[in-house]
Amino acid sequence: MPNGEPVLTVLLYASLAALTASLGAVPHAIRGRLALPVLGWANALAAGLMLGVAYSLMSLSADEGMVQGAVGALVGLGTVRLTHAGTGTEDLDLNRIGELSPAYGYQVVLVNTLHAAYEGVAIGAAMLVSLPFGISMALALAVHNIPEGMVLTAILAERGVRLPHAAILAVATNLNQALLAVATFSVVGVVPWLLPGVLGFSVGALLYLVLVELLPESYHQAGRTSIAVVTLVAMAMVVALGVAP
Amino acid sequence: MSDVLLVFLYALATALATGLGALPFLFVGEISDRVLANSHALAAGLMLGASFGLVSEGTAHGRMETLGGTVLGVLFILVAQTLLEDYDEEELVFGAARGESARKMLLMLVVMTVHSFSEGVAVGVSFGGGVTLATVITVAIAVHNIPEGVAISAVMRPRGVSVAKCAGWSVVSSLPQPLMAVPAFLFVEAFRPALPWGLGFAAGAMIFMVLVELLPEAFDEGRRASVATLTTVTIVAMVLFQRFL
Repeated sequence: MPNGEPVLTVLLYASLAALTASLGAVPHAIRGRLALPVLGWANALAAGLMLGVAYSLMSLSADEGMVQGAVGALVGLGTVRLTHAGTGTEDLDLNRIGELSPAYGYQVVLVNTLHAAYEGVAIGAAMLVSLPFGISMALALAVHNIPEGMVLTAILAERGVRLPHAAILAVATNLNQALLAVATFSVVGVVPWLLPGVLGFSVGALLYLVLVELLPESYHQAGRTSIAVVTLVAMAMVVALGVAP
Repeated sequence: MSDVLLVFLYALATALATGLGALPFLFVGEISDRVLANSHALAAGLMLGASFGLVSEGTAHGRMETLGGTVLGVLFILVAQTLLEDYDEEELVFGAARGESARKMLLMLVVMTVHSFSEGVAVGVSFGGGVTLATVITVAIAVHNIPEGVAISAVMRPRGVSVAKCAGWSVVSSLPQPLMAVPAFLFVEAFRPALPWGLGFAAGAMIFMVLVELLPEAFDEGRRASVATLTTVTIVAMVLFQRFL
């Protein structure tokens, strides 16, 4: 960890989280086209890790300032809904592997890019609580980005994108994560009273993203029981291994 | 009045409060698919919010014990599901409902009832410090129980169970509370180590129920954006509600 330059730590770990998205292409490289249940479990894994991060941030924002946190959560939820409505992606299914229309291609990349932005805010806010806590949250999101990259790669590969390009594109959609993590860390660092609200903002956004993007399709890709088990185990891992703030 | 009788009566009052959760459903008219989706999303949010509270209380007593309890909670539901699946469609009757619908209501009641055992222990242990704060604690717990009644009614009412019966079953689901509160109060030191296990168990059972039954059904019957919004808002409201009482 770079001494005395916490911003570099934030940049380092947020970039790492963006880079891991490329690993999502690896299973495709080894196994070829992935079976539908595998994609379902990938979604459930991503959902569970994100729920764990949301829970950890929530237990913090509760201590830091309950009402601000709750207002922040509603603003976070509203912001995700607005960006989805503004881009016409409100009910976009991110798993239509065989869907080849040009509009669908850019919408999927766009929604993944928006998704990563909220993760960036979450990392930046968590780092302000304490660097070790922030690092553990960034690592959880780094792992989360792998199954997410798997699903994105599956869609891109089906559209004829070569795997190395898909891997690079997966990282590209996550780059704003590093940018927003650093921006959140710097701005809220100067205006500390914003912290409970920003923590709440990430909680609201992350919870909504899990519920609107990750879980709904997973239930059609694999059995309900297996989806529930994978989600819960992933969530419990974050709660168990996450550094207590 | 003896302290033991007092603890029992206070805990009984909190169980009766659960029945109040059915009352909002007096104002829900026709039961459509949308009502089913929304009430499942509502129940999911209430149970997730409540579980987040249980996990944070449990981890304060012991992180690994809470997680151990969570695993047991999930295993318990898996076993209960398997047992219920052994019945034929026609054999499984609950009120006017049969088959799948009856199975879901039974499972919901089982989950909420077993979760009340650990709540009863929590009540008894908190009274163990003396009964001076009894009234305050009782009112707080009684108010906490109302959303649980709402969650139960949200699953039963759309399946044609009358509001009065929803209230009755809600009270029944909370009856373990007074039963467990008394021994926990009398033998605080013996019960205290079991508390994180019990809280984890309750959280694991409820989160699993949400992931395996309530959310998939809500997504099937409603638009994913509205289900996700209602669930997220309810989680935030529930966490806020718990912190302030």
